[in-house]
Amino acid sequence: MPAQRRFGMDHDHYDWSPISTRGILRWPNEARVALCVIVNLGHQEWSPPEGSYQVSNLAGGVAPRPYPDYSRISHQEYGYRVGIFRVLDVLQKHGIRPTVAMDALTVENYPYLVRHCLERDCEIIGHGISASQIITSNLSEAEEQQYIQRSLDALNSATGSATQGWLGSEYGESARTPQLLAQAGIRYVCDWTNDEQPYPIKTPQGELYALPVMFELDDVQALWSRRVTVDRYSELLKDAFDTLYRDGSSTGRLLVLNLSPWLIGQPFRIGFLDQALGHMMRHQGVWAASGAQIIDWYKNNLPVA
Amino acid sequence: MTMLPSERVAYSPIIDRPVIKWPNNARVALWISPNVEHYEYLPDFDGVRNPWARTPYPDVQQYSYRDYGNRVGFWRMLEPLDKYNIRCCVSLNMAVLEHFPEIGQAMVDRNWDFMSHGIYNTRYLNTLNEEQEREFYRDTIDTLRRHTGKQLKGMLGPAISGTERTPDLMAEAGLIYHTDWMHDDQPVPIKVNSGKLVSVPYSIELNDSTVFRQHYEGDYFAMICKAQFDQLYEEGAESGRVMCIALHPFLIGQPHRIKFLDDILGYIMSHDGVWQTTADDIAEYYIANYYDQAVAHAAQVNK
Repeated sequence: MPAQRRFGMDHDHYDWSPISTRGILRWPNEARVALCVIVNLGHQEWSPPEGSYQVSNLAGGVAPRPYPDYSRISHQEYGYRVGIFRVLDVLQKHGIRPTVAMDALTVENYPYLVRHCLERDCEIIGHGISASQIITSNLSEAEEQQYIQRSLDALNSATGSATQGWLGSEYGESARTPQLLAQAGIRYVCDWTNDEQPYPIKTPQGELYALPVMFELDDVQALWSRRVTVDRYSELLKDAFDTLYRDGSSTGRLLVLNLSPWLIGQPFRIGFLDQALGHMMRHQGVWAASGAQIIDWYKNNLPVA
Repeated sequence: MTMLPSERVAYSPIIDRPVIKWPNNARVALWISPNVEHYEYLPDFDGVRNPWARTPYPDVQQYSYRDYGNRVGFWRMLEPLDKYNIRCCVSLNMAVLEHFPEIGQAMVDRNWDFMSHGIYNTRYLNTLNEEQEREFYRDTIDTLRRHTGKQLKGMLGPAISGTERTPDLMAEAGLIYHTDWMHDDQPVPIKVNSGKLVSVPYSIELNDSTVFRQHYEGDYFAMICKAQFDQLYEEGAESGRVMCIALHPFLIGQPHRIKFLDDILGYIMSHDGVWQTTADDIAEYYIANYYDQAVAHAAQVNK
């Protein structure tokens, strides 16, 4: 439905709230910046089911090619076999607890990685079914409920605990996704890339918060879609951090990175991530935490005027 | 029933595999793969992939851009390769041997290894039926033998194309490696109906064709190749790694770029512990020493 010309948002998911008029957000130990790194394991299918929606900018390989697209699919598979371990090692080196987004096909096809991530104390969050089966408004409400449930069932049974966070495959949502996620027990969602603090999402059932990703710093967006050079990308990460760190002296800021191991985990790229995270973690007043840790704090310490 | 592509490769995390030791305890097996290609002036359109999508055929701009590689770029590319005594593994459109024999002779003279890259870069495998694809392997094997006396061992699909049957038919024809898989930094067994086939990691990233299609230039290509080498060299101290640099004479042989190839090769070859080799030799060494171990190990991991 087109927007009505009136005050506030043109939907009911959250209230209009400019950062300039909000109360002060205080992080634990007077930290200025909360840093959350999402490691994105989105599975690409060789042959997506009929009727599933494919985004127009499929990444990997040279370019999408006719079936069987060996170079593109295997390029993404690199993340599972090799890249993920470099990324987790760099996060561990800097004391950053990873938040790993795993879709259902990843959970089902790579039980080794579920175990490995749990052993390394990662928080694992929901990530849909696969990168080639995403949520769009083409799904009916019942289909979307089933979709979310399939993703969470796969994850919950593999991890033995209730999944708290969600990042949609390819950031895919319909207009009803936040409500359905809350209904399914999800506590925070990373799809909305519109803020530098968490914020509450209004839902009829459950309690849901947004944990916004910095979209321009998403490695697929920067390194693949925009073809930023990898040394420049490392500078972007540091520059973004420096600004958030400065701004965080008055009210807490959030830096959520969404990184794909098939891309940032390549041998020639990983060193640049290492440099950027090293720069961040050398500062006092940086709180590196998983998504659920940040949301737990936020809901108990809402900004005060 | 043909296996699905998703069934071809067993999952195996690189941190949890039998250790690979290259000859002389080298840390990195480095193979340089120039793609020596010919694109047809007036190709047939197979209905799924358009070789010249910019204009109705011919597209003289794009055709001649690539033809420059054979007329000029190839010869310039040889200079830094010869300077560092690089033995390449050419990714070859076999028809080049028929059209441009001087190029074939230059490669034979340098004792390069020859990997098939199909017949022409404008003839893809996607629409071939089983018998046509069998004939395709016979043709590439025979053409190579006729012009060079060499036995074909591996393939990068023409313009990186293939079918579901490709690995099975390659193995049936006696080939031992397939380089269309960008999935690893080590060789990996590929399941086939008969014989043994492995992937030898090629690169879609350290590849002048993906880099110079974008806004990047030679200095960036040199920077990422060196960074790649540094990372793999460090990791290779524990277990051997493969590094591939993929080249196209029409791109790397441009006068404004060639100095960066010299820069890259000079840097890498100044290190000890580099096995400068070919995909043929990597595949043979891996199959002789690690293939069975890798298959058994992957079965354990996926139990």
